[in-house]
Amino acid sequence: MTTSGFDRRRFLRLSGLGVGTAIVAPSILSACGGSSSTSNAPSLPIGTPDRPITLPVTRESIADGLAPESGTLRVYNYADYVNPDVVAAFEETYGVTVEISTYVTEEEAVAKLRSGSVEADVILGMTDTSLALLVAADLIQPINRSYLTNFSNVITGLQNPYYDVGSQYTVPHVIYANGIGYRTDRDVDTSSFSGDDGWNVLWDSTYSGRVGVLDSYRDTINMALFRNGVFDVNTGDAELIDRAVSALNEMSAATRPQVDILSYQEIPAGNRDIGLCWSGDMLAGIGYLPEDGDPMSLGFWYPKNTITANDFFAVGSAATHPVLAHHFVDYLLDVDNALANQVFVGYQPALEPITTDLLIDRGVIPDSLVDALVTPTRYDDGLRLVTLEPAVDTLWIDAWTTFTSG
Amino acid sequence: MPGRRSPPADNRLLWPALALPGTAWLTLFFLVPVYAIACIAFGRVDPVFRDAIPVWNPADWQFADAGDTLSSVISGPLRGVFLRTTVYVVAAIAFCLVIGYPVAYYVARSSLRRRTWLLGLMILPFWVSFLMRLLAWVNLLEPDGWATRALDWIGIEQQWLNGNHVTVILGLVYGYVPFLILPLYASLERIDWNLVDAAQDLGASPWRSFHRITLPLSRPGIAAGVVLVALPMFGDYYTNDLLSRSPRTEMIGNQIDFFLNASRQKQKGATLVLVLSAALAIGMSWYLIGLERTRRREES
Repeated sequence: MTTSGFDRRRFLRLSGLGVGTAIVAPSILSACGGSSSTSNAPSLPIGTPDRPITLPVTRESIADGLAPESGTLRVYNYADYVNPDVVAAFEETYGVTVEISTYVTEEEAVAKLRSGSVEADVILGMTDTSLALLVAADLIQPINRSYLTNFSNVITGLQNPYYDVGSQYTVPHVIYANGIGYRTDRDVDTSSFSGDDGWNVLWDSTYSGRVGVLDSYRDTINMALFRNGVFDVNTGDAELIDRAVSALNEMSAATRPQVDILSYQEIPAGNRDIGLCWSGDMLAGIGYLPEDGDPMSLGFWYPKNTITANDFFAVGSAATHPVLAHHFVDYLLDVDNALANQVFVGYQPALEPITTDLLIDRGVIPDSLVDALVTPTRYDDGLRLVTLEPAVDTLWIDAWTTFTSG
Repeated sequence: MPGRRSPPADNRLLWPALALPGTAWLTLFFLVPVYAIACIAFGRVDPVFRDAIPVWNPADWQFADAGDTLSSVISGPLRGVFLRTTVYVVAAIAFCLVIGYPVAYYVARSSLRRRTWLLGLMILPFWVSFLMRLLAWVNLLEPDGWATRALDWIGIEQQWLNGNHVTVILGLVYGYVPFLILPLYASLERIDWNLVDAAQDLGASPWRSFHRITLPLSRPGIAAGVVLVALPMFGDYYTNDLLSRSPRTEMIGNQIDFFLNASRQKQKGATLVLVLSAALAIGMSWYLIGLERTRRREES
């Protein structure tokens, strides 16, 4: 299973962070040091957990009861982010072909959709941080739920998400949480994993040279904030961010971490004992174990106070096969198809029937990775990254530059 | 009257005409990208989509954001990255010269037949992608890699892939040394070795004849080779990405990559490109001035 593009997807999904969807208020812009660019900026509606948003609907969804179109369905997705076998089964079922174009970052995807260089029937992998842009630029169309017979499988709490109240434009796809992946067969001190301070293990010089953190500024700085007891994952407090960077520099001196998104490979390969990563990394990591590797050697920890997130499906406004696009989405909401997809992709479908017991019974994950699963309750408990205001985003990026500059 | 003969009138325009397409190509694809980068660095940001919007009219350029970035390079967090990059490149070039000069010298002094074989061997590494070769080194230098185990066995125990300066410098050397050897060889190969023989006949030691004759005559080749490897080394980011991935070894190319690909601050990335280009232009100027001086010296 290759995941190079998939890696970038995960990396950039949270690092590039849909900063573009910010509420760009003039008052904020004036704080940017009088940059030319940003005066008299209009605002975009951004949903947050505290302020759920109903997105404006500027066009009709497709009518009910239409037959799916024939021909070629154009899917726009991250590389290796859908199981080719599942796609082949869809093609056979509907007698169509599926053509997949890939993007590396959400920014790239939005730019290409805007320029018209890519026209897609279905878009996979985007997050709420790009949603307002997609809607503002009229790049996606409202979903007609009557075609989604499997929509009820979606985790209840996500059927009406804060970023798209009523799921007018989006259908949740996968969910994940931020935590620490580790080797269960190495001498990793997991005693602190019973509480919220398990992050300290990344500062333990015992593991020097065998540690990784995410090459994603918001994830890694937030991890340092968590260690400092700060749980405002969207903070604009420069002092808190500075303290987090100081903590990261201490970590760098103590454990010499690699900054990348490769824990899903490096931990299974045995090159790394612990790493800050996404839960899907360890689930995907099973496929990267050596031939004689034991799946039970992989573990994952995440506390209640950590980031949980999801991405979604959308139907392109330029779709020439919009009905077929709806059927494709529905096909991937089917539990069996979603499970088959997870075996390839690693990430956990945002479907309620896909429970821990089911995944273990079907042999999708080993017992040691039960903790890597994001249950609906734990998803709800998690902290949500939202689009940062430009001035705040600059604070975070400057902090990241300070850390990565060594 | 003796002197340079003018080319026949028919040929006077031929060579410039033949050179025109290439010259136009190089000019176009150097100047246009540089101008585009400047237009982004000094341009605007889309207020809604926050994309960098190039401003094509220099009269409308704004320099506030670029000034902030420059301050960061001069006295902020990026200063350390620039200094580190410079140290890495200087060290790597020095190492390239130490190992590359003898190779170029040996090939240049070899018989014609052997020289052909040796040149073939020198370009052999290019048959395999540089990326693949670096990935091979990653495997060899992993904690249980063969190279690591061999080095451990002889008492050199290191974490080679976790922010090790030596690994990154040697990675640069590994990737770029052939580009230094080839122009150096071309320069050495043109030397009139009778001069060296004459010096030794007159009593000069091998070292003295090398120091007084071979080295000065090969200086243009050294300069060309150094320029050829220094320019890409300064912008290199994948060597560090593959062999270290640590803040301890971050190079300026990594920062540019971050700003252009992983953040919405493309203006900052564009400004860093310009700063780096300006710094390299100074080095290039030094090289060109040196060439001009050499030419004048030879003419006089």
